[in-house]
Amino acid sequence: MNGSKKRKTSFLEMFIKNRELGLIAILIILIGVVTLRTPAFLTGEKMLFIVEDTATMAILAFGMMCVMLVGSIDISISGIMAFSAMAAGIIMKNNISVTEVTQIVDGVEKIVKVRESVPLIYLLLIAMAVGAGCGLVNGLIIAYGNVLPIVTTLGMQYIIYGLAHIISDGQAVYKKDMSAAFTEFTRDFSFLGINSKTWIMLLVFAVMFIFITFFRSGRHLYAVGSNPEAAEMRGINVRRSKLLAHVIMGALAGLAGMMFASHDNKITQDLKTGYEMYVIAACVIGGVSVTGGAGKITGVLLGALTIGVINNGLPMLRLTGNAEFWKKLIQGLLILAAVVSNAAIQRTIQKRNLKGRNL
Amino acid sequence: MKTIKKIFLRWEWLLILLTVGVFFFFNDLNPKAYTLPKLMGQTRVYMVDVGFMALGALLILLLGDIDISVASTAGLAATIMGITYRAGAPFWLALIAAVAVGAVCGLINGLLVTGFKELFPMIITLSTQTIYRGINYIILKDKSVGSFPEWFGNLGYDTVRDAWFAEEMPGWVAGSPEWIQWIYNFVGDFPVMLLCLLAVFPFFFVWIHKTPGGKRIFATGENIVTARYSGIRTDRMKITLFTLNGILAAVGGIFLAARTGAVKYTHANGYEMQAIAVAVLGGASTAGGKGSVVGILLSLILMTCLKNGLNIVYNDSFIMNLSVGALLILVVLLPNIGQYISDYWRVLKRRKEAAQKASPK
Repeated sequence: MNGSKKRKTSFLEMFIKNRELGLIAILIILIGVVTLRTPAFLTGEKMLFIVEDTATMAILAFGMMCVMLVGSIDISISGIMAFSAMAAGIIMKNNISVTEVTQIVDGVEKIVKVRESVPLIYLLLIAMAVGAGCGLVNGLIIAYGNVLPIVTTLGMQYIIYGLAHIISDGQAVYKKDMSAAFTEFTRDFSFLGINSKTWIMLLVFAVMFIFITFFRSGRHLYAVGSNPEAAEMRGINVRRSKLLAHVIMGALAGLAGMMFASHDNKITQDLKTGYEMYVIAACVIGGVSVTGGAGKITGVLLGALTIGVINNGLPMLRLTGNAEFWKKLIQGLLILAAVVSNAAIQRTIQKRNLKGRNL
Repeated sequence: MKTIKKIFLRWEWLLILLTVGVFFFFNDLNPKAYTLPKLMGQTRVYMVDVGFMALGALLILLLGDIDISVASTAGLAATIMGITYRAGAPFWLALIAAVAVGAVCGLINGLLVTGFKELFPMIITLSTQTIYRGINYIILKDKSVGSFPEWFGNLGYDTVRDAWFAEEMPGWVAGSPEWIQWIYNFVGDFPVMLLCLLAVFPFFFVWIHKTPGGKRIFATGENIVTARYSGIRTDRMKITLFTLNGILAAVGGIFLAARTGAVKYTHANGYEMQAIAVAVLGGASTAGGKGSVVGILLSLILMTCLKNGLNIVYNDSFIMNLSVGALLILVVLLPNIGQYISDYWRVLKRRKEAAQKASPK
């Protein structure tokens, strides 16, 4: 045995060991490129807006991370969002009461309609409960019925959209049926200059961070994902962990659905169709492995922000013609570049580690 | 004895049973609107374009991979066909161009999947899905391309009777017994598109189930490492199958264009999930190494019967999708539950036996 000389960690390795650093670098490059073209992009206000715009996606991505950690996947989240928002929306619609209040605005008397309904917090809880219920069904079928996750959630996607259609009878819930508290909670409310959506996202982030780093059942998610057999031997209830992950995903999807509904001031039965793919992309860019067992919540947050910067920065690039047309292509190319470059870098590192190994 | 059990314990019987049940249920509910000839006409809508993509999905699922870019590939291929024709090229050239684009899209998927094995095919095809759709969006913007040749539009609507049969029933048929007339009418009701799809199935059946090449696909899907060590060129196979999948997607897109008459950038949106649903219902597993061509055909027929019936009764795509989703989950879940129960019984039985042995008489 010769003295093990500590190999100097290279710059590249530092980036790989700390995936978040690499993501931050990508973010800075992206923002830099856009700023070169449009200097107005790099303002605090715009950055805050991007975070606000990405908040809902980030919340969904946190849930998706839990699901992907246990080696499962959920492509029914857009259905869950529509269904839970619709369920809460219908309860709100049925309890709406409009009172006319005379207010004095700028010395002129005005009649203002005040729409009131079930308190907002109850609505959010209802939506989250409905979402969690959908997640529970997903989890039961996947964990206890041994059906492959992608098949289950594909089927559930159809079913849940159908249920949303049935309970709504094909009718959308419009602003006139929404309480003022609901329509305003993502728009007008802000604290310390930061929008409520960002606050909710930070709250969910904190809760999830604590849950996944310090709680036993949170750590179990990693164990189950990296090696289910070993986890089973170790006495971890694999099935319950999977169920838990799906319930968390469902509840967060319910919350996100309400946030989208409030932002759009409209609840339709096809709310955010196809959104699950963005969320999965955010997770993958953030370093969550599809096979399970690997991924960090900070990475997921940065992954979501990367997509947010791409979405918001593209119009600022002022490409030829309408940027809207280019958006999809560039999104796809960037996602592909992110995952492929990560794989390539990892491969070089592994090769180098093999070379430098002292045997 | 064992072979008989093997024949009867097949997935396909479940599908046939379900199809017959669904058919008679809706036939009973709606004797006028839901008949075999009318159902034949509806196969154009529910069977043909999805059918080609489902065959492609089967190939990919057999490998244990998944491809969610097929719908975008189909859309892009149809768009290329449209703009090539609009640019003045002859129509056959446009068709070749469309199929070639499909092949290239599939080839790119295959190269990426085999080149970066640590990445999941789902992630790769997720990004290529966005890329292909994005290219399509850039080409077409928010306009549509159409006005294809007349025969192409007819392809989407004609039945065998319209295309080849004489206006009136020929004398030899009219004079023959009733069952021959029935067959004549039955064949006459076949849409031409459906014939094109059905013509492909025998080739696939022989290739996948009866040739060594097909067995190699199953072997690769079952265990790729073992397959590679036993001399199968798994990478080359994957690239070939992904390319073939792209071609099938392009053909599906072309047939869809024949039916709709125009191509928009949202062409074939959402078909990737339909194709996977059909393949899974037909007995394929996303874990690989499972599935059959006959199963695909039967599940296509089942889907057509179910969707058309629901469409007549409810006239609502959401209810239709709900039922398809429920069917998908139930069909996959039920055998698992059966397995679970039978395992449970076996354990109980063993326990009883062990207890009897342990206790002295």
